[in-house]
Amino acid sequence: MDHTLKAVDTDLEALSHAVAAMGDLAVAQVRAAVDVFVRHDLPAAEKVVRADNAVDIQDIEIERNAVRFIALRQPMADDLRRPIAAMKIAMQLERCGDLAKNIAKRVPRLTAGTTEAQADIIAELGRMASERLAAVINAYRNDDAQGAYNVWLKDTDIDERHDSVVREIVAGMAAAPDAMGDAIHLLFIAKNLERIGDHATNVAELVHYQITGTDLSNRPKL
Amino acid sequence: MNAQLDNPPETAVLELPPEVVKLAIKDLTFFYGQKQALFDVSVSFAANAVTALIGPSGCGKSTLLRVLNRMYSLYPGQRAQGQVLLDGEDMLSPRVDVATLRARVGMVFQKPTPFPMSIFDNVAYGVKLYEKLSKADMANRVEDSLRRAALWDEVKDKLKESGLSLSGGQQQRLCVARGIAVKPEILLLDEPASALDPISTARLEETIAELKRDYTIVIVTHNMGQAARLSDHTGFMYLGKLIEFGETEQLFTNPVTTRARDYITGRFG
Repeated sequence: MDHTLKAVDTDLEALSHAVAAMGDLAVAQVRAAVDVFVRHDLPAAEKVVRADNAVDIQDIEIERNAVRFIALRQPMADDLRRPIAAMKIAMQLERCGDLAKNIAKRVPRLTAGTTEAQADIIAELGRMASERLAAVINAYRNDDAQGAYNVWLKDTDIDERHDSVVREIVAGMAAAPDAMGDAIHLLFIAKNLERIGDHATNVAELVHYQITGTDLSNRPKL
Repeated sequence: MNAQLDNPPETAVLELPPEVVKLAIKDLTFFYGQKQALFDVSVSFAANAVTALIGPSGCGKSTLLRVLNRMYSLYPGQRAQGQVLLDGEDMLSPRVDVATLRARVGMVFQKPTPFPMSIFDNVAYGVKLYEKLSKADMANRVEDSLRRAALWDEVKDKLKESGLSLSGGQQQRLCVARGIAVKPEILLLDEPASALDPISTARLEETIAELKRDYTIVIVTHNMGQAARLSDHTGFMYLGKLIEFGETEQLFTNPVTTRARDYITGRFG
C-alpha cells in the first residue's frame, strides 16, 4: 500500500534508485579495474582511477538525502530502516569504489608484466567479487531478502579462492625472485578483491535488515 | 517475524509477566447504546511504566481509557462487559465505589479543565474530598503535587491567582497536579498535549517521564512521535479491537501486524 502522503513514496523511490545506481557504478568500477589489469591498459586504468570520484559523490548525495528524509518525514519501522540502510550500503559501496581505484592504480606499477596464469587467477577472483556485488545490488533493487540471504551464505567461496591465489603468487615469488615487486602488487590486488567480497556480504546483511528488520550477522552459516 | 513477511498475524498482543502487571483488562466489550465500541479487548498495563494507546479516530482508544475509571457510568445506555483488574480487583464490579475508584485512577483530559478557583484550591479540591489534612499538610501536598507536575516554579508566587489565568500548557500541568494530588495509583491521560505548543508539550512529556517512577500511566495520543518518546509499551487499536500491543521499540521499529505497520508508517487506508 502506498503512503497517504505521496511525497514519502517519491522520496523513498528516489533514495532506492540512487543506491541501486551507485551499486551499478561500483560493480562497473570493479569489473573495469580487473579488465584494465588483465589487459595492462594504462590509459584505461587512469580513467578507472578518475571515475571513482563519481562513486564518492553518490555516497555524499545519498547520505544527504537520507538525513533529509529522516528529518523531514520522521519515518517509522521499515520506512526508517530504508534511509539508514541506504546510508550504510552507500558507505560499503564507496569502499568498493576505493578498492577498485586502488587496483587500477597498481596497474602502471606492474613493470615486469604478469604471467598469463597469474592474470587468469586474478581475473577469476575479480569475476567472483563483481558477481557477488552485482547479485546483492540486484537483491536490493528487487527488495529480495532471500536473494540477499543467498549472497550472504556464499561468502566463503571467495575467501577460499583468495587463499589459493595467494598460494600461487607466493609460489611464483620463489620461482621468479626478480619479479618480487610485481608479486607484492598482485597480492594487494587479490586482497582488494577479497575485501570487495566482504563488502558485498555486509551489503547483503543491510539489505536483509532493511526488508525484515532482523540481523543476519549473528546467524550461524550453514 | 514482521509485517512485511508472508502471512503476518492479524493481531499480536504481548503478554506481560504477571509480576509487573498493575492493571489487567480481560475480554472487555463496550457499548454506546446499541453500538459496540470495544470488542474483546484483553491487555495488561505494567506498573511504573507508560503505556501509549494509538490508532485512528474512532478506534476505541479514548473509550478504553474511559472504561478504566468508569467514566461511562455517568451516561445511561453505556455499558461494559468483562473485567478491569486493578491489583487483581475488578474495578467494574458494582461493589467498587466509583468515588474510591477515581481516587485510585486519575484522569487528565484533552482540553485543560481547571476549576474557576485559585491555583492552590484547584489542587487542594480533590484532596479535601478524600482526606482531612491540616493546613500545613495541605500546603505541603499542594506544593509537592505542583512540583511533580513541573509547575511549581512558575506558580509559587501566585498560588492565589485563578487557575484560568495560566497559559494552556500551564493549565494542563495544573490538571496533572490536581490529578496526582489525591495520590492515585494510575494516571490516565487522554490526548493531554494536543492543544499545547512544542515547548509546553516537552515540559508535559518530561513531567510524565518523571511521574512514571510513582505511577502507572496510560496515555492516549494521536502523536506517534510522542508515543515513541514517552512510552514503554504501545497498543495499536483499530475499529474497537486491539490489533497489536508490545514493547514500544518493537512496535515502532518492526511491527508484527500489517495494520500497525501501515498506520505508523502513514500508509493507512
